[in-house]
Amino acid sequence: MSYAVGQELPAFIIESVSAEAMKKWAVFLRDPNPIHLDVEVVKAKGLGSRVINQGPANVAYVMNMLLAAFPGGRIEAMESKFVDNVYAGDQLQAGGIVTGVADGRVNCDVWLRADGQRLVISGTAAILTQLVL
Amino acid sequence: MIENSKLPPAPDVAGISLDGTEIYVISVEENAELCASTGVAPAADGCAHPIYYYIATQVAMGKTVAGVCNVCKFDVDDGPMMGSSGVVFQKPLMVGVPYRVKGKILGLVRKRSRKLGVMDVLTYRLSLRDETDAEVLQTENVWVLPRRELA
Repeated sequence: MSYAVGQELPAFIIESVSAEAMKKWAVFLRDPNPIHLDVEVVKAKGLGSRVINQGPANVAYVMNMLLAAFPGGRIEAMESKFVDNVYAGDQLQAGGIVTGVADGRVNCDVWLRADGQRLVISGTAAILTQLVL
Repeated sequence: MIENSKLPPAPDVAGISLDGTEIYVISVEENAELCASTGVAPAADGCAHPIYYYIATQVAMGKTVAGVCNVCKFDVDDGPMMGSSGVVFQKPLMVGVPYRVKGKILGLVRKRSRKLGVMDVLTYRLSLRDETDAEVLQTENVWVLPRRELA
């Protein structure tokens, strides 16, 4: 498979972020922060009216997009900047664009947007596409 | 409003160890559950979802999230926020493999932002290592600790 600078990567879409999944992530992360679990806490803190997704879960969606875009490839490096919160019920779209191709490695700009517009993660990634076994 | 130069200094936490004592193993069952929660199937070759770079290092580092906040003299209930997270993998994460964490706090910098007021920016680096002490990945995370009491 070949890749070219400027090539857009196929989007990975989450139709609706699940509050139930946030309960699982609280266990995965061993982090019971109530802003992910209790909407009343979110309201009391003035952070909105829906529970807030864990940041690493948002990164995982971007990783899913990369793994689907580069079958057989491996993420070598990734940098994610957390720009905004993701809330239960948000529709998410992870995307990316190729910024460099050399020596079996593809560099990309990546992002995650909520509800088609609001940027929640921006970042970069390097993918190894020719793995030496 | 207190000017940047007149803010009290942030706690001196650079160099504090985050070496873990716990061995962390990604189970087949949890990896499958995590993958499902993000809308994908687990890999068939034994690779774990790469987001375990964050989970494994956070869970197996030498302090809890609240503990890290505590050494920074910050109450975890005041809401630490993730600023950024970076990772470089030397090899893929695998299910069923025991990992350990080494790491340290790199710095805590106090500054003022228009959006958040006074805040401390915490940076720490963690290394996930396998049974032979070979590095599997290195991650560097930045948290923002809002200091509303200094606004």
